[in-house]
Amino acid sequence: MAFAWKASGLTYNKYLSVAARVVRRSLKDDKRLAAERRGEMELRFAKWNGGKQGENKSLAEANAASMAEAGSHSSS
Amino acid sequence: MLSRAARPALRAATSTRPAQNAATFATLREIEDRLKSIRNIEKITKTMKIVASTKLTRAQRAMTNSRQYGQTSNEVFEQAETKPIESDDKKVLIVVASSDKGLCGGIHSGLSKKVRRMLVEKPNADIVVLGEKCKAQLSRSSGRNIVLSFAGVGKDVPTFADAQAIADQIVLLQTDYSDVQIVYNKFVNAQSYEATQIEAFSEEAIANSPNFSAFEIDDEVLGNMREYALANSLFWALAEGHACEQSARRNAMDNASKNAGDMINKYQILFNRTRQAVITGELVEIITGAAASEE
Repeated sequence: MAFAWKASGLTYNKYLSVAARVVRRSLKDDKRLAAERRGEMELRFAKWNGGKQGENKSLAEANAASMAEAGSHSSS
Repeated sequence: MLSRAARPALRAATSTRPAQNAATFATLREIEDRLKSIRNIEKITKTMKIVASTKLTRAQRAMTNSRQYGQTSNEVFEQAETKPIESDDKKVLIVVASSDKGLCGGIHSGLSKKVRRMLVEKPNADIVVLGEKCKAQLSRSSGRNIVLSFAGVGKDVPTFADAQAIADQIVLLQTDYSDVQIVYNKFVNAQSYEATQIEAFSEEAIANSPNFSAFEIDDEVLGNMREYALANSLFWALAEGHACEQSARRNAMDNASKNAGDMINKYQILFNRTRQAVITGELVEIITGAAASEE
């Protein structure tokens, strides 16, 4: 793999959002507050199986978990 | 003395009246209560309209920005003349961009209807639902097709982080889809909207497009581009859907306030008329009573 972030299991979108977060955090205070509101994400999601809704989970945590899992698979 | 004596009988007469004429004639108290509750409802709908109007301007600004963004992102596929692969064995994924909140007319049911029409053509398509409203509607008719649902959409103007997180979760789905179609409400003008779809292509479809070689993209980054394009399209759909929802809510609340105003007028007239009738009735009874006892 050519990209270190891909080898560690991140998707391109995750990679982008991490990069964007870093940029936002390194801004000056007044601009940072406005910018950080654009990076907020409070979605919840549920998997469906055979017409039944599964458990409602926080999307951010689930994404992080699935990427950590993908990372451990590709590195081992 | 006389009038005081006449009153208890009169009171008894008025209190027995509603029982007799309940079907045709409401009592004063009933009309007053109704009037009060309609006034309260009008207050609420008016406030909601004002809130929606202020949110609408922000949502519209976000929409024009994101539309530019999404169209620029799609320009690549237009230049490359990308077309969805026509194959029966691979599934199609439909992403429905609705939201959590109601009270905004028929924009959610419009989306659901559009999705149901698409499902008639492709009965085995999978559905990803963004927002509680369409989830409730689609889970009744085609719950078996739903693979993922997202809640918390549409509280505020959608951010790109939202779109990215959703795109991630869609990419992580096990099934290999030939085509992703995002169904959203297209903002035509402040009064009207239209359920439309944007295509987000699979890697295979992008690689097979006729003019693709002009871009000189490595195979390795193709997947990244596809994920990014999906997030772009989702962001576009979410922002435009949000603007539509706000404008639809503004219109719905405007109509509700108008209807409440009409009803208030009607009930006010009815109230005045009934009050006069009651007073006239009382006077007639007193006068006849006085005349009778004088003789």
